[in-house]
Amino acid sequence: MSLDRAKYERLFLEETSEYLAEMSQSLLSLEKDDAFVESVDTIFRLAHSIKSMAASVGQDDIAIFAHGLEDRMQAIRTRGSLSDSGELSLLFRALSQLEEMIRSVHTVGATVSLGSDVFMALKSAGPDDSEPAHAGAGAHAPKKARS
Amino acid sequence: MATVLIADDASFMRQMIREIIEPEGYEVVSEANNGVEAVERFEEFSPDIVTMDIVMPKQSGIDAVKDILFRYPAARIVMCSALGQETLVMESLEAGAMDFIVKPFKPESVLGTLEKILEKEI
Repeated sequence: MSLDRAKYERLFLEETSEYLAEMSQSLLSLEKDDAFVESVDTIFRLAHSIKSMAASVGQDDIAIFAHGLEDRMQAIRTRGSLSDSGELSLLFRALSQLEEMIRSVHTVGATVSLGSDVFMALKSAGPDDSEPAHAGAGAHAPKKARS
Repeated sequence: MATVLIADDASFMRQMIREIIEPEGYEVVSEANNGVEAVERFEEFSPDIVTMDIVMPKQSGIDAVKDILFRYPAARIVMCSALGQETLVMESLEAGAMDFIVKPFKPESVLGTLEKILEKEI
């Protein structure tokens, strides 16, 4: 059997639009140093969902980028804090690039290169980022959570 | 006809599972978009099978598996995982989930897994 790809591409765009807005709100909370654990969990979970949905509609570059963001959020969760103000800036830039990649699906497919500085920065290990990303949202508490 | 509860926080994924299984005769009796709802819906509908996402808000899929199996040891639960979640899949199976399917879903894999766990004796 085959699934209606056009239908799922439309659903992908609709649902990711909501997710990106929610991610943006969570990043603003992080910027205000508010609800750290919830905000990190939310961004992790949404990046994870975008990864799975993108892979399901054949948007592999978006899936890979979202996976990079998911891994970075897991590292932050494990660390229990942002490493510095530059990491928050990186997350905002990552969200902006993810939005751009998803927006481009409307027209010519995901055209933003994975070789971008943002993706490379996401994938580069920060301090204490040696643990792999395996935990699900709510599955494990961060080691040094602050609320 | 086997009844199914689909638990996933992404509407996209719930629709995809539904579209794969309904033409094959499965009846989706309810959906849940977080772990807490999954437990509540299980108690309400007593489905033959639950497809359970791992990463969900409020309560993870793994904790929902533990809650359901604590009260209903004969529940048949299939985890929905993504690449890179091998550790959590193992944790889910240790908690009592019967099998897992990997996103992005392949219809034949989803259907084969559901068929297989329905045949298992509990």
